[in-house]
Amino acid sequence: MAKIKFTLNNEVVEIDKDLNMRLLDVLRNDFNLTGPKEGCGEGECGACAVLLNHEIVNSCCTPLANVMDKEIITIEGFSITERYRIIKEAFAKTGGVQCGFCTPGMIIATESLLNKNPHPNDFEIKIGLSGNLCRCTGYNLIIEAVKEAAKAGEGLW
Amino acid sequence: MRDISTSINKVDNDEKTSGKAIYVADIKLDNMLYAFTVRSKIAKGKIIKIDYPELPLGYYIVDYKDIPGKNIVKVIFDDMPIFTEGDITYLYEPIALLIGPDKAVLSKLFAEVKIEYKEEEPVFAWKDSVIHYHFDKGLGKSALEEGKIIEYVYQTGYQEQAYIEPQGFIGYLETDKTTLIGSIQCPYYVKNAVIQALGAKDDEVRVIQAAVGGAFGGKEEFPSLMACQLAVALKKIKQPIQLVYEREEDMLVTTKRHPSRINFKASIKDNKINGLSVHVGIDGGATIGLSGVVLSRALIACTGAYAIDNLDVSGDVYKTNTVPNGAFRGFGAPQMFFAIEMFVEHIAMELGLDPLEFSKSILAKQGDYTSTMGVFRDPVLMPEMIEKALEVSDYNNKKTMFKKQQNLKGVGMSLFFHGCGFTGSGEKNIIKAKVRLKKQFDKVEILIAAVDMGQGVKTTFRKLVAHILEIDIDKVIFNNPDTDFVPDSGPTVASRTMMIVGGLVARATKEVKDRWNEGSFVVEKQYEQPDYIKYDESNFKGDAYPAYSWGVNVVEVEVDRFTYQVKVNKTWAFYDIGKAIDERIVIGQADGGLAQGLAYGYLEVMNHDKGKIMQKNMTDYIIPTAMDMCSMETYLYENPYAYGPYGAKGVGELSLIGGAPAVAKAIENAIGKKVFKIPVTPEYIMELMKNGKD
Amino acid sequence: MVKAFVAKSLDDCLNILNQENVKIVAGGTDMLIQNRTHSGIAIGFKTDVLYVSLVDELKHITEDKSNIYIGATCSLEQILENNLVPKILRDSILEMASPAIRHTATLAGNIGNASPAGDSLVCLYLLDAKLEIKSINSTRYQLLKDFILGVRKIDLAKNEMITKIIIPKINFDLVYFRKVGPRLSDAISKLSFAGALRMENNLVKDIRFAFGAVNIFVVRRREIEEKLIGIDKKTIKDMSDEIIGYYSEFIKPIDDQRSNKLYRKEVCSNLIKEFLEKI
Repeated sequence: MAKIKFTLNNEVVEIDKDLNMRLLDVLRNDFNLTGPKEGCGEGECGACAVLLNHEIVNSCCTPLANVMDKEIITIEGFSITERYRIIKEAFAKTGGVQCGFCTPGMIIATESLLNKNPHPNDFEIKIGLSGNLCRCTGYNLIIEAVKEAAKAGEGLW
Repeated sequence: MRDISTSINKVDNDEKTSGKAIYVADIKLDNMLYAFTVRSKIAKGKIIKIDYPELPLGYYIVDYKDIPGKNIVKVIFDDMPIFTEGDITYLYEPIALLIGPDKAVLSKLFAEVKIEYKEEEPVFAWKDSVIHYHFDKGLGKSALEEGKIIEYVYQTGYQEQAYIEPQGFIGYLETDKTTLIGSIQCPYYVKNAVIQALGAKDDEVRVIQAAVGGAFGGKEEFPSLMACQLAVALKKIKQPIQLVYEREEDMLVTTKRHPSRINFKASIKDNKINGLSVHVGIDGGATIGLSGVVLSRALIACTGAYAIDNLDVSGDVYKTNTVPNGAFRGFGAPQMFFAIEMFVEHIAMELGLDPLEFSKSILAKQGDYTSTMGVFRDPVLMPEMIEKALEVSDYNNKKTMFKKQQNLKGVGMSLFFHGCGFTGSGEKNIIKAKVRLKKQFDKVEILIAAVDMGQGVKTTFRKLVAHILEIDIDKVIFNNPDTDFVPDSGPTVASRTMMIVGGLVARATKEVKDRWNEGSFVVEKQYEQPDYIKYDESNFKGDAYPAYSWGVNVVEVEVDRFTYQVKVNKTWAFYDIGKAIDERIVIGQADGGLAQGLAYGYLEVMNHDKGKIMQKNMTDYIIPTAMDMCSMETYLYENPYAYGPYGAKGVGELSLIGGAPAVAKAIENAIGKKVFKIPVTPEYIMELMKNGKD
Repeated sequence: MVKAFVAKSLDDCLNILNQENVKIVAGGTDMLIQNRTHSGIAIGFKTDVLYVSLVDELKHITEDKSNIYIGATCSLEQILENNLVPKILRDSILEMASPAIRHTATLAGNIGNASPAGDSLVCLYLLDAKLEIKSINSTRYQLLKDFILGVRKIDLAKNEMITKIIIPKINFDLVYFRKVGPRLSDAISKLSFAGALRMENNLVKDIRFAFGAVNIFVVRRREIEEKLIGIDKKTIKDMSDEIIGYYSEFIKPIDDQRSNKLYRKEVCSNLIKEFLEKI
């Protein structure tokens, strides 16, 4: 066990914990942030995605030790932002949400992509989403959502 | 008033995008325990002895000896034990639950469980038939005594549902009531199975649906097994328990699409199919479960979208010492449509005819008889849909051009239908769906057991009721089904939800509308089969389905000449689904279904080695990513069905069925060799390019 | 319970390595999966671990006249985005990992894992990459090909760590990388191939072939490459059958859940052809 401090959804938090825990479990069990989901447990599906210093990472294969002094934003923290509102509305408009299990991860992937590249082309969007599996949509409506968000949120990223 | 098909935003978007939707694994209860499943390490044999480690206080083993009721999971064919009593029939068969408060301790105890077995020789060959069906149409087998005979065999592999949320339940006791919250498609299947397992009374079991992270048939019958195990544990321990699978366990032990082998033989006279003989073999796995019903649907679809007068149809479910197979979107139809679509194409090639012209010449029309001598009663729009497909995809031109070119591009078209609702008299005799609407002041609550697993039921049903009543959708309430409050409107399967349950809800809503000024009241409706539907289950005679949805898919691919990898460049899809209750939701179903169907055809490989599933995680079982998918154009056709709400027919399964044959034909066109099995992997393409048939 | 050490500086790393018996974890993307047991509990490492990903001084990519130096804790994303890094290595990174993995995984971690299916290794073998390896009292340099001893076996002492990956600067006229995965992105390879060529006066000056996932090591045969030096452009383009023959005894793939040996072998041959066609 060791004390570890990091910023979680814009608040500095400190927790006494085994540093070999997966970030995903700490978020879900110790902070009750259940937006990040466990879909595969091995970094393939992206349902557990969070932002680490504003870049997407899979919290299921991020050890707690690696977030020391870093900034973590989960879907819960992101969902109070204007960028979220734009992305959310884009997903609603295009029909990018079905069962919803992959959705928080997809939203995080969208933010991470647009943060780096506010005007992605189709290929860049596909690469940006390539670590997030969705079994419901066939992806097209999600790709449309990312394009729509980039357009509607012009200037925000 | 707006056309009902005009899209609205889904009602559950916000809770899902924000991460607030509650899935099973998100629920935490006070004093909650965790359950791990102890499983067999062999595929066949008997347990001689189990040594459990000494359990600390508060840790428990729950096995068959704890079952108060029957040690059988109630499905359609009741042959799956809740926990084995010693006989092992497949690898990882459940033996017991190991339960306790600390997962780290459980993990250690779990590793210390020692089991001695007496191993027996497992059976993997398809020889032990446990269900055999046969039926004829017209002249039956005798039609194959004349004309030119053409024979081929087609094979399909496993497919895993690969819902992104693994299976799970959480349960607790409320005084005498066993309450289970699960990721499920069929609340009443679960409830009835648990009642039988516990020997409980109807009001002693309550089942509630949590948000469902995808299902695709995988959460139709399998959850009943988990629920029975958990219910037995709850009765013994009397503390809340969570039983949630991780991915690997889920992929190793849950039901999958049945692998199949389909033998076709046709007699040809005057360039027409005079008679068709077909045998379908499917691997049921270690228990029969739904396999017989899956086989029926495959057999009934044996003519594909065509009218063939003389049929000799038979099939077998084989029992093997492998993980039980079960429901998966399409339910036997994807296997058969792959086979018949390839066969018709191959017949045409062998006769030197243009495959599409040949297909068009034998297409089923309104008034034609189905394989079971039922009737296609409604107009069949296929000719119009095919014309449109040819036009927008430039199919004919591409097909000729690609054949000549060196670059291994190809285009393929599939024609298909899906019988909507349960096969045969299931709705009338088994399900007897009941729906209830509760009007209170200016609000109406929909009380049905239909589950929103992503397909949009919560939105479409509220929209349906609001539209009929001409009220705001906010005035219509639809909560996740809870068996303490909703009647049994049947399982969320078989593309029946909108057509059957929605049809009933629409009828009930019309009554609510007529009585709107009466204040608060409840309206209940029960399914009544249309008079014209008569079906003789044992002889496969009559109308197997009340209505059919139809589809045409065109797929364009490119095969890499160095690596034989397939890239799907573009798809075009055309569907007659009666009437879309929400166009955007239907497009979502269309895209997602086709993605699964395409992947079934060329990407998703699953096999077992001595009963062990080799692709046991998302790293090894390959489903498409955004990179693998292409742009998809979808065209919807209106062709209202009289008993569906606003004319709606089934959608969910139809869109999966045409993907595999279309992509397989496109690959044939690209490489100039005949394809006989799916998935058409690069390894198989390599083999075909070396030794395949032209 | 195993202990977890978190290093903030290279000195921390080397001191801890010197005193403790630890396994090094960088991004953790592979190590966590290899050692996981159940969700909700700590990763089941067999030994104590040293987390190095917070060591900022190893997060730099630099160059001198003859080499590129990639710090051991650079994320794949950093490497992908840095123009100093040879294109073929960046191409392989883009194909091998999703953005989420790229943001945390490291090249040094990939090397330390020594998986024969690791796509980046194929390019590193091709480029004659070297490693800088430090302990508390020494610095040594070793060719990657000598560092990897077998499947998940490396030549690293208990008190050592990889600190830099060194890539010699060479201007190739043609580089070519193909990852052959079961789908188009984000999947473990069935096999991978990298080729590079430098011509001088229309004659082959330097030609290289590397194959991944078809043997326990990445296959690179210097003696075969040397045979081809001095051959003119037209002739080498037509030598595919001969070259395939040379490599045949070294390409010994297996059947597994991802593919089979026939396919792997044949596609290696095809990729040699494709590479030569591009000359």
